[in-house]
Amino acid sequence: MTDAAARILVVDDEPQIRKFLRLGLEGHGYAVLEATTAAAALRVAVAEQPELVVLDLGLPDREGFEVLSELREWSRVPVLVLSVRHREVEKVRAFDLGADDYVVKPFGMAELLARIKAALRRRTQGDAAEPVFRVGALEVDLGRRVVRVDKADVRLSPKQYRLLQVLVSNAGKVVTHRQLLDDVWGAVHRDDIQYLRVFVRKLRRRIEADPARPRYLLTELGVGYRLRTPDQLDGAA
Amino acid sequence: MLRAFMAHRGGHLRWVPYLISAAAVAVVGLAAHVLTRLIPLPHVSILFLAAVLTSAAIWGFWPSVFAAVLSVAASSYFFYSPIYSFRVADVQNVADLAVFVIVAALTSRLAASVRAQAFEARRRQETIAALLAFSERLAASATESELHATILEHLAPAFGRPIHLLLPSEGSLAVAASLGDAAPLPEAIRAAAGRVMAGAQAACPGWRLQGLATAQAEAGVIAARQPAPAADAEYAKALVGHAALAIERARLRREIAEARIKVQGEALREALINSVSHDLQTPLAAILGSATALESFGGQGDPHARRELVATIREESERLASYIENVLDLTRIRSGQITPRLELVELSDIVDAALRRKQKALGGHAVHLQLPPDLPMLRLDLFLMEHALANVLDNAAKYAPAGSELSIVAGVHAGEVVLDVVDSGRGIPAEDQERVFDAFFRGAGPEGRPASGTGLGLAICRAFVEANGGSVAALSPGPRGGATLRLRLPLPENEHAGETAVSDD
Repeated sequence: MTDAAARILVVDDEPQIRKFLRLGLEGHGYAVLEATTAAAALRVAVAEQPELVVLDLGLPDREGFEVLSELREWSRVPVLVLSVRHREVEKVRAFDLGADDYVVKPFGMAELLARIKAALRRRTQGDAAEPVFRVGALEVDLGRRVVRVDKADVRLSPKQYRLLQVLVSNAGKVVTHRQLLDDVWGAVHRDDIQYLRVFVRKLRRRIEADPARPRYLLTELGVGYRLRTPDQLDGAA
Repeated sequence: MLRAFMAHRGGHLRWVPYLISAAAVAVVGLAAHVLTRLIPLPHVSILFLAAVLTSAAIWGFWPSVFAAVLSVAASSYFFYSPIYSFRVADVQNVADLAVFVIVAALTSRLAASVRAQAFEARRRQETIAALLAFSERLAASATESELHATILEHLAPAFGRPIHLLLPSEGSLAVAASLGDAAPLPEAIRAAAGRVMAGAQAACPGWRLQGLATAQAEAGVIAARQPAPAADAEYAKALVGHAALAIERARLRREIAEARIKVQGEALREALINSVSHDLQTPLAAILGSATALESFGGQGDPHARRELVATIREESERLASYIENVLDLTRIRSGQITPRLELVELSDIVDAALRRKQKALGGHAVHLQLPPDLPMLRLDLFLMEHALANVLDNAAKYAPAGSELSIVAGVHAGEVVLDVVDSGRGIPAEDQERVFDAFFRGAGPEGRPASGTGLGLAICRAFVEANGGSVAALSPGPRGGATLRLRLPLPENEHAGETAVSDD
């Protein structure tokens, strides 16, 4: 199945938003399913098994967060969350509940399309994870546990490697502070964001040419970190 | 301490001075007995003056009289013949005793009055010190509720507990603070306090009501449950005076602040209406116009014109979005909703996020970044700071000509991190260097005309930076003739916090 044939479920109660999403997405070859309430969203998700969900957080019957967590109980379908303004607390919550991406209203169609495309690609790639991850001059060989920058081996401490490994396996996606702390240090250190910051600083010194302006390991302010995929790196340049 | 001691004197320990005076007389008597064995002493009674004077100096008049009477009795019984009888046979000894009584009486009075004066001086000194301490605590109270608590804490020892402070609030008298009792003040007491507030007399059995009088009117009323501890009235009066003044001062201060906020609010509303009429209507007119033009083509029309109209709709919508965001931020600042969530963060993370956000606006500028790699972590609110910096970058992008250089330089100077954003634009005229931070102020753009935008960016920037404990100033001309926006951010107490605590494994 190609990206262009993917069916996207749009969950939003505002008719004008649904209208432009339908027109925009159909114009780019996607099939669009619509739902205006949380209940309808879950019903359509079960019945139609869409390839991607665009989920607004403000729904009339229940919170969008509840749709997300119920959906995550049985499905790994990529979910792209829409919300007004950038309220970071909401962002963190959405990512912690398993959202794949987060788009702040108002947004442009081009940005949304790019993010949908990236999410769909991650989904298809996720099943056949490459043993070697490459972005720019950075190379992470997960099989042999080797990290190279500009073809030269980089020595990392076990914890630094583990951190990079978690980011690589979620490449292109925002990984929240909590998820990283859970994965690398265990649930005991779940709230020690300070800990994580210091580690990221050290990791950047080893893999980034200019740690002050990182190109690979990006900070998503207040939310977490994201390792760019080659696509995202090209898009930013 | 002295006050507690005085309270004791009035209580059950009244007889102690007499007991000690008697003991003093006994001691002197024993000493006299020993002395008269060794050397002949004709005027033994003189020795007893020591006991009488001691008693006068320490305990005052009546205990010393008591000591004098005992002394006379002891002298006549033990020392003047016939011994072991109160009778005194020798005329000279009678004269002796008479002189003793007169001298004892006079010196007792004298010593007692000196003692009373010393006592009074000490009491005054302690009262003044206590009042001074009270004044200092009142002045140090940061909030009105803290002030009220301080007042009750100091008044309770003189007035009794539980004690309540009633202050006028929206036309009636309400309990502003209470001490020593969780139970609400009975309605009858509140009503009586209302009469005191109006300047009338009011009596409530079991309660003491005290108006806090200032030059104009009563500032409030104190209601305390009796019996109050014994305290001197003068001290209590001074306490009440201090409390009344402090409450009045706090009220005036609050009223002035409220009036100022109101004036500022009105000025802001006016500026906002002016701004809305221009900044909201213009993009809206362009969007509506372009959309209806496209509609009128009905699928026909020059493809180039159609693309232009679509581009206009997008650009003007973006402008509208940024305007609305700014106005929302400003509203948040003005309504006091900005509460920074301070945490240790990397300045480079903030700079990077701001640069990424403003990537499009800065597209035409060559950005140079000079952040030392060993820059300490700062205690800041990530989002407020990122927003503040993004606004500075936006400003630089707008006022400096396209293609010009823009530098971001950070360093540590005198306990602060200084972050300079240096552009190569026209700079800011000296008279505008403070005004650029005013809401709705707009400087001249690269072509000399007023720049587009809301004039809110730097006002928001300053509010956000200050909420983080920092400051921002415009310096012009900067090193390259353009403007430099300088952000100063405080270093946290322990600048290496966290770094050393984390092991690598």
